[in-house]
Amino acid sequence: MKERIRLDKRIVTENDRFARDLAERFDRAGLLAVNLMSSPGAGKTALLEETARRLAGRLRMAAVDGDLATDRDARRIAQAGMPCRQINTGGGCHLNGRQVARAIEAYDLDELDILFIENVGNLVCPASFDLGEHRRVVVASTPEGEDKPVKYPVAFRSADCVVLNKIDLVEATGFSPADFSRFVRDLGLDVPLLQLSCKTGEGLDAWIGWLRAEREAVRRAEVPAKE
Amino acid sequence: MHEVSLAHAVWRQVTAEMEKHPGRRLMGVHVAVGALSGAAPELLEFALGLLVAESQWPQAAIDVRDEPVLLVCRGCGHEYPMDEMRLRCPACGSADIEPVRGTELRLESLEVE
Repeated sequence: MKERIRLDKRIVTENDRFARDLAERFDRAGLLAVNLMSSPGAGKTALLEETARRLAGRLRMAAVDGDLATDRDARRIAQAGMPCRQINTGGGCHLNGRQVARAIEAYDLDELDILFIENVGNLVCPASFDLGEHRRVVVASTPEGEDKPVKYPVAFRSADCVVLNKIDLVEATGFSPADFSRFVRDLGLDVPLLQLSCKTGEGLDAWIGWLRAEREAVRRAEVPAKE
Repeated sequence: MHEVSLAHAVWRQVTAEMEKHPGRRLMGVHVAVGALSGAAPELLEFALGLLVAESQWPQAAIDVRDEPVLLVCRGCGHEYPMDEMRLRCPACGSADIEPVRGTELRLESLEVE
């Protein structure tokens, strides 16, 4: 006889298990883990280079960097003074928990204040993969147009901070920061929106300030890691 | 683009459930894919089909259902389906909105005989 078994259960993926384990390790180490997402070329690596230069000698930082191929980004970040491990995903369009767990074996997490996870440039798949991070940062840039938030709502909805890079190109690209802000707010997002330029340095102080505040919040364990 | 690994996760959960019902035959699997889950229903259905075909229950039918997003306003409690990506509450205009359905992948039910 045919019978229906009602379950209504959330699917638990292998990545969920890795993410939970990573989150516990990050918490135990007392560091701030930040997952950076953007489309290719928005400026995640440039942001990490500037962060490395501005916080050198003040906070202990390291990064892991996901790309399909080459270690170009990891070398750039390391040259700016932040240790960085490259993860080559082959054809993979996002970082998963297993890859991050393997990459951070190189680091003594207890000796770090901030761990940056630079995701593969892609605003679709990375949003669905929790990497155990405390904070998610989505980086957009002015040449991409104002409507990225509504086109990629899953990624933007999950952000704890939205960075708008290449603000020095507003005139050249005809970008409207007001429209961008409206698109972000229309998603129901009430998170910091930081307009900056990694090239001119404009707005970077606010980014550094945000990082320091979040680092402090996690250190005091006032704000627990994301579930 | 990661539906194969999701299909494996679904299938692991299906087989774990079936272990609780020894001697029964799996006839159907019902999965709901939330519009904000980041998974493509047709790809998931295809990947699940491959796993089912190689399993001990190749006769099982797969039903992958799109689940639209249902939002609730934390300001006034109004519940409404998501229309495009404008998430402000149509009742009170608040932006303090939370999705209550449509963000995840769920195993809804199994049919056995």
